[in-house]
Amino acid sequence: MIALKNTDIGFDTALFSIEEINFSKGNVHVLLGKNGVGKSALLSTISGLIAPARGKLTLEGKLLSGYSFKYLAKKIAYVRSNVQEVPFLTVDAFLLLGRYHYKTFLGGHSGEDYDLIKQAKDLFGISHLAEKFTNELSSGELHLCAIAKAYVQQTDYILLDEPTSHLDYANKRKVYELLGKMAKEHNKGIIISTHDLDLAFKFSFNFYLIDTQSKTLKSVKTFKEVEKEFI
Amino acid sequence: MSIKGSNKILFPLVGVGIVLLSFLSLLIGDIATDAMDVFNSVFHYSENNLSELVIREIRIPRVCIALIAGAALSVAGMLMQTLFQNPLAGPYVLGINSGASLLVALGILSGSVFLSSEIGLIGSALLGAFIFGIFILFTASFLRNQIGLLLFGVMLGSFVSAIITILELSSEAESLKSFAMWSMGSLNGVTIEQLPIICIAFILGSVASLFLVNPLNILVLGEEECRLMGYNVKRLRLMIVFITALYTGLITAFCGPVAFVGLAIPNLTRMLFKTQDHKLLLFANLMFGALFLLGCDILIQVMSAWVLIPINALTSLIGAPFVIYILIRKIR
Repeated sequence: MIALKNTDIGFDTALFSIEEINFSKGNVHVLLGKNGVGKSALLSTISGLIAPARGKLTLEGKLLSGYSFKYLAKKIAYVRSNVQEVPFLTVDAFLLLGRYHYKTFLGGHSGEDYDLIKQAKDLFGISHLAEKFTNELSSGELHLCAIAKAYVQQTDYILLDEPTSHLDYANKRKVYELLGKMAKEHNKGIIISTHDLDLAFKFSFNFYLIDTQSKTLKSVKTFKEVEKEFI
Repeated sequence: MSIKGSNKILFPLVGVGIVLLSFLSLLIGDIATDAMDVFNSVFHYSENNLSELVIREIRIPRVCIALIAGAALSVAGMLMQTLFQNPLAGPYVLGINSGASLLVALGILSGSVFLSSEIGLIGSALLGAFIFGIFILFTASFLRNQIGLLLFGVMLGSFVSAIITILELSSEAESLKSFAMWSMGSLNGVTIEQLPIICIAFILGSVASLFLVNPLNILVLGEEECRLMGYNVKRLRLMIVFITALYTGLITAFCGPVAFVGLAIPNLTRMLFKTQDHKLLLFANLMFGALFLLGCDILIQVMSAWVLIPINALTSLIGAPFVIYILIRKIR
């Protein structure tokens, strides 16, 4: 479980505060909020890239800052909203980078690594892109590959910052379905931020809204509750 | 991370090329020598034989330093390009050479006996390269723009050359001459006694680079990705700057500034092998860099009957058009 208590979130200065919240395994947690309210800041904080401006952030009961970077890489995967396209990096090679937390110095990749990559490609429907360079993909394809890379990383938690914003409707649906399936069937804790309100509420996910009035994160159940924030 | 079968053949080809060109380079020159002299100069050396003396004291050091300088500068370029995610980065463009040049100039032109000595020269060059490396690293932390960083490097170079010009005008004829000789760049300045120390430094840098191939492969996706995969990015950045400064400082101290090798060769290898696998790229840069500079040196030797070309001028003549070609390709 990832738990935050009396925590302020922000890159340099606090953007909003969290009284208490627990992101459990086995569920998809959806962060909602206007542009710039701090959804990315929260995800970056949970990933360990930035420290909370104030307060406590724990992973499995221990302070997140107490874990080594290597350990965190085995526990938490983070798909950021901007995925870097790299010339001469094939999709296969890109996906293999998701296994580097288990790679030893100069050691090769194991059969398990290649199996996982094949699974991920089938799951996300990107097998036909395997030999393409990442700078030859559309931004939607690139994001699908980035999500597949997070799957390959085989962590307990996956954080995704607006993973569906570049995808077409069919792929959006597919990603939400897959995320739900991964949470339920593989007992993963998945936290995403999104602006796809209509689509996301069709799934039985946990929803949270960053309220701009009170500058707090609160749990919400229905579309009605978030409506007035966005109108 | 597999490479296309057809390109793998390049490795043995380049290997054979290096051996053949090295041998050729030992044979050609003002004094005629044959294969037997080469063999004898290594295994049955006698100081009284002029051919053997020339091969051992002049040609062997020159071939070795050409190979090492080409390899080292290419790897330094690869490291810089991956660190700054910028295919146009390199130790020369980013002004790391300038750091070495500045301290060497201060040393030689001040007329200090210690600073003009061999140890003083190497020390100044290494220190200068390292200080400027850290400086660039620091600047890059807030100057995120790729072109901006390159311009910063170029400005750094102009700034340093202005200081050097002022220093030159106010220094004595003797030290001015020795600095002018150094700054033209030459592969002839190395003696056989200096080779072991150069080799050791070169091997240290290469082994250290080999230890970095895993994080380098992730680093192409950005520093945050590298950190998220469990690598200590701050330490990685420092290691890269340290190795680059070691290579650049070392080569600059012994051969003077050598431009464009570190910029052109890493781009060439990436284009040939179409990969971002840094284990492969490391070996490719070592080999192609060595072959390239050795080829340049042979060209200089052959041309010397008609015209004297400093090594720095030749690498610029070949490297600059290639870099422009890369630029045009990138824009299209």
